Amino acid sequence: MDLWYWITDLNNSKMVALLLFFSTFVGILIYLFSSRKRSERLESYRFIPFDDDEPDQKRQDGKHS
Amino acid sequence: MAQTPSADVDRSRTQVAPSEQYNYDIVKKFAIMSIVWGVLGMGVGVWIASQLAFPFLNFDIPQITFGRFRPVHTTLVIFGFGGNALFATSYYIVQRTCQARLYGPKLAEFTFWGWNLAVALGVITYMLGYTQGREYAEFTWQIDLLITVVWVAYFLVYLMTLLRRSQPHIYVANWFFMAFILATAILHIFNNLAIPVSLFSLESYSLFSGVQDAMTQWWYGHNAVGFFLTAAFLGMMYYFVPKQAGRPIYSYRLSIVHFWALVFLYMWVGAHHLHWTALPDWVSTLAATFSILLLLPSWGGMINGIMTLSGAWHKLRTDPIMLFLITSLSFYGMATFEGPMMSLKSVNALSHYTDWTVGHVHSGALGWVAMITFGSMYHLIPRLWDTQLYSIRLVYVHFFLATIGIVLYITAMWVAGIGQGLMLRAFDEYGNLSYTFIETVVFLHQPYVVRALGGGLFLAGMLLMAYNIYKTIEPVRREAARQVASGRTETTASASRA
Amino acid sequence: MKHETIETNAGLLIALTLVVISIGGLVEIVPLFYIDDTVEEVEGVRPYTPLELRGRDLYVREGCYTCHSQMIRPFRDEMLRYGHYSLAAESMYDHPFQWGSKRTGPDLARVGGKYSNDWHVRHLIDPRAVVPESIMPGYPWLARRDLRYDDIERRMRALRIAGVPYSLTEEEFAANVERFGEETARQLDITRARENLEAQARRGNYDGDPSRITEMDAMVAYLQMLGTLVDFTRYDEGYFVEFR
Repeated sequence: MDLWYWITDLNNSKMVALLLFFSTFVGILIYLFSSRKRSERLESYRFIPFDDDEPDQKRQDGKHS
Repeated sequence: MAQTPSADVDRSRTQVAPSEQYNYDIVKKFAIMSIVWGVLGMGVGVWIASQLAFPFLNFDIPQITFGRFRPVHTTLVIFGFGGNALFATSYYIVQRTCQARLYGPKLAEFTFWGWNLAVALGVITYMLGYTQGREYAEFTWQIDLLITVVWVAYFLVYLMTLLRRSQPHIYVANWFFMAFILATAILHIFNNLAIPVSLFSLESYSLFSGVQDAMTQWWYGHNAVGFFLTAAFLGMMYYFVPKQAGRPIYSYRLSIVHFWALVFLYMWVGAHHLHWTALPDWVSTLAATFSILLLLPSWGGMINGIMTLSGAWHKLRTDPIMLFLITSLSFYGMATFEGPMMSLKSVNALSHYTDWTVGHVHSGALGWVAMITFGSMYHLIPRLWDTQLYSIRLVYVHFFLATIGIVLYITAMWVAGIGQGLMLRAFDEYGNLSYTFIETVVFLHQPYVVRALGGGLFLAGMLLMAYNIYKTIEPVRREAARQVASGRTETTASASRA
Repeated sequence: MKHETIETNAGLLIALTLVVISIGGLVEIVPLFYIDDTVEEVEGVRPYTPLELRGRDLYVREGCYTCHSQMIRPFRDEMLRYGHYSLAAESMYDHPFQWGSKRTGPDLARVGGKYSNDWHVRHLIDPRAVVPESIMPGYPWLARRDLRYDDIERRMRALRIAGVPYSLTEEEFAANVERFGEETARQLDITRARENLEAQARRGNYDGDPSRITEMDAMVAYLQMLGTLVDFTRYDEGYFVEFR
């Protein structure tokens, strides 16, 4: 109950906001980097830009002229 | 060399060529205009830099005095060069990564004419003396309305194309472009609230005044940097760096953190432009804190881009386009380190109001924004016209001209800014000011000459690029014209239409 | 929730992005309009007279803000060079603000009264005639062109909508008399704008040519009043610090 009063007190809004933002940030980090399976799944989306490679694939080698 | 027309026909029978599957026409238009405005805008930049070194260059002609010409420069390079490059690349990337044709060709066409009309009208009105008097938001209120309409159309085209995608996922480059479109809309609308003098007057008065006006303006001003000149160009980076390297981005998870942290943090930092002013202290302290935090996602993004090349560093030796892209990321890293440092109140006390700020902006604008654009354009343009670059050697020359130009520019501005800052706060042994203001102006002459020189080199590189692109496109156009003239079939002509 | 949900749903991506980008601006800007501490209560600060207003328009038109700031910071060197640091109240009628971001030339927040009218006229026509090392452009056309003020009422009406206490009605005039004193209130009366402008130009004779009202008259009238409104000898330093 005391904790609830502390949170709703406007004078503590800076600290509350900071804790809120920071825990969200940490949450995102944990979500992204904790599970190996999830990591592999997420990293598989890296290849989206190459999905449409067709005839001009040969250009990727840096041979331009 | 360019494929023969018959090969094109063959391919279009078996499989649709990219030039038919996607709307390349609109991308081509924006790409060309980006280069045109780039040449003009950088030309004006060199001119006004020379005016500061040699004031007779104002010639007592009202239209080209520094005060009116400086907004011409900023508008041409930010909205003309940068804006058109963003339209071009975003329309290209959204089609390629969604494997869907651009929504609403007419609407997209409207964004092209509307946007470029706004830039042209802006330049003319500034020279005639019509301005809202707020940096990077100088457009008169009618042009502001035009831009708003164009922007809504842009949002629609982009969103509807995303919804058409044949990919379940929206690739990270598109998040950045979407955030840029949304943020720019909010910033543009709120910052340009104004009361027109009359319905037919070009002049208006800002709705806000004093402190509130200053805060709104720099909330806009810094986020023009944050979203227009950073987030959107990061969208470019997330597509063109992997494509040019032929390798996927270093870490997709890092790009998720990068995106959310960047778009969240940027909106807080505008007030660091108002340190030590009449703005309440709590706002500028908050802004300084968030500016420091911003270093993290910025460098995360830089690392993500540069490490894409990890294990394939040799590409830098053989590919000048890769050189452009990676150097731009290095300048991005440098500028995003310098920025948080300058937002510290103690550093800002020295750097604010001096040329150090100008140098910082240009290490971002020339080093990051322009260089990633050059790299992307050199990658993009041969693909759009289905041909090959006229000369790779000229790309090398361009790269070195640009790099040397930037280095001259920013070192000159460090000397000028830090030097002047120190002179202005120097006291003699009796506690009097050591220098009058005009003595610091005399000191600035040499750095100003070097800066103009650096800018000149950068402009020379830009001119080379324009020439190189012209020579790349011209044969394709001539070929297309010849085919139309000799009455080939409709399919062939449209497949390679320029 | 998986991040994929956001990545595969354009609407959700847009909504979340909007939320995330709105927070910073809201937290920093909205309170400035409500907190009383943002702008000090100081006597003497008043809206611009019609002539000064036109001068300010010209200041904006010529882009003076690209090289001159109007915001003195609370440092010893700036106090010695320019005068007392700027107060928020001193730009409370500035639509738009002209604090500037670069000092290629010196700060102008308190340039009023430092030089003679004649100096300003000669300096604006040819800066290097008075300051040989100056890199400022010349503005000779200001002295040549007649000042346009046929739309001065419209301008004041527009500013009135934006919140500047220019008066249109008897009640507003009375309120201004109460707030600024009779003499100033008359200057802020939109119905008397034209005669006020002409009278001030004639009385001030800023450009040294009494036969006509030029743009130079307006520009110099504006420059000569910059930073002169607040009498700092009347305030205790501690008072202003509360607002920083």
